[in-house]
Amino acid sequence: METTDFSRRDFLKSAAAMGGGSLLLSAFPWLQTFSKENQKEVIGEKAKIAIIGTGSRGMYHIQNILRVIPQAEIVALCDVYQPHLDQAAALCPKAKTYTDYRELLLSPEVEGVLIASPLHTHASLTIAGLNAGKHVFCEKSMARTLDDCKAMYDTYKQSGKVLYIGQQRLFDPKYIKAFEMVHNGSIGEVVGIRNYWFRNNDWRRPVSDPSLERHINWRLYKEYSGGLMTELATHQLQLGTWALKALPDFISGFGDIIFWKDGREVYDSVNVMYHYPNGVHMSFESTISNKFFGMGEQILGHKGTIELSKGKYYMEEPKPAPGIQQLINQIEHKVFDNVSFAGPSWVPETASESKGEYIVEKTKTHDGASSTGAVGDGSEELVAAFCHSVITGKPIPSLVEEAYYSSVLALLGIKAMEERVVMPFPDAYKIPYLNHSNV
Amino acid sequence: MRDILLTVKRQRTEIVIFIVCFLVAFGLNLYSIVAFGTEWKELYTQLLWVLCLSVLFYGIVLFLRLLYWGIQKILHKK
Repeated sequence: METTDFSRRDFLKSAAAMGGGSLLLSAFPWLQTFSKENQKEVIGEKAKIAIIGTGSRGMYHIQNILRVIPQAEIVALCDVYQPHLDQAAALCPKAKTYTDYRELLLSPEVEGVLIASPLHTHASLTIAGLNAGKHVFCEKSMARTLDDCKAMYDTYKQSGKVLYIGQQRLFDPKYIKAFEMVHNGSIGEVVGIRNYWFRNNDWRRPVSDPSLERHINWRLYKEYSGGLMTELATHQLQLGTWALKALPDFISGFGDIIFWKDGREVYDSVNVMYHYPNGVHMSFESTISNKFFGMGEQILGHKGTIELSKGKYYMEEPKPAPGIQQLINQIEHKVFDNVSFAGPSWVPETASESKGEYIVEKTKTHDGASSTGAVGDGSEELVAAFCHSVITGKPIPSLVEEAYYSSVLALLGIKAMEERVVMPFPDAYKIPYLNHSNV
Repeated sequence: MRDILLTVKRQRTEIVIFIVCFLVAFGLNLYSIVAFGTEWKELYTQLLWVLCLSVLFYGIVLFLRLLYWGIQKILHKK
């Protein structure tokens, strides 16, 4: 069972060394930007990028672009909140600043637009950007509503432009290698997927004036955000479509405000189940009043388990210790163990204590605590790939489709929780991907 | 306290004893590979364990020899 052998540091080098016909690129077509042929196309070129939304996530991207993405130049910045715009302009003194995105989109200098604004603006900004002839990178989730997601997807398909959605796990080397293991049967048949994300904070940002509450803390209000589902779950729900190459047929769940009763409208505790046609379940659980278990993504196979958050995999039957160590253990037990004439009639099935193996050497992991972005989570590679695509102008296969379904699954989870029903996956939101035709 | 002289004969004897201990430890490694069905590459990957066992066996043999010499000395004095 072959898998590609690369550490994170060698990720770009290794991916660039692969030709278009490799197994890796056929399984993960969005990585083709790193192929040798495509890398040659961008030598000496720079993508002229505008950033719309220069809050925390926008600043994270600006810092990454300035630090590690030489094939990009930030030529414009836009934000309706002047303090955010000022802090971004301080980092990019040569960039033109705007408070109205429509004026920015008129600029012929701008080739690509990176949207890091609040969720409820994603659809209108992306559609406007694509219609203005720009390539667009839109942060996740795709949009606030199911209809908006569909409208974005349809506009993208008609525009012929590049669209990326901020699903950085698609570019994280340990996820790439993990899914190679899933698809080549290393962990056997997938029998379950468990996602969880626990934090212990109120998710609030300081507000200088009460009138700015809904503007700054937009994640807490239903008009602007789906809360835990759109801000956290979308990252993890894509694992289901990625691993199983299928859509769930039914969704159910419960959501409540159990602890942070401070006037917010979104749930602070959610538990959603996605049922797949083959009977496999994928779960997502999140509570933001207890952080003991942190963040986790677990793919359960009948031969092994992959824990993506820890960057490790564990086989159900781990490799035995070397023979000489087993012999020494055997002799030691024979000499030193007490003889007992009655043992326990029942032994608890405690969790395996196997230490597992790393999916990728020198892997970087994070506990999901950062609300702006973690180091080594694929974000740099994702934005670098976008800048590359802006230069070549070539849309990337499967990327938008994976992100679309991830966002739709999150939004359907919210609907199931609000209506307290077992909901079938609506045909109206299926797109031509994963063997589904347009309905 | 007096000076201890390690003759060439004594050195050769100790080296031979250590080699025998190493061969016994190596033999145990070989036996364990067969008995537990593990990989043949453990013949060289587990050499550190073999070395540790060799030192242990040498120590045990040395203890027994010292014991034997000690008893012999006591009996001769009598």
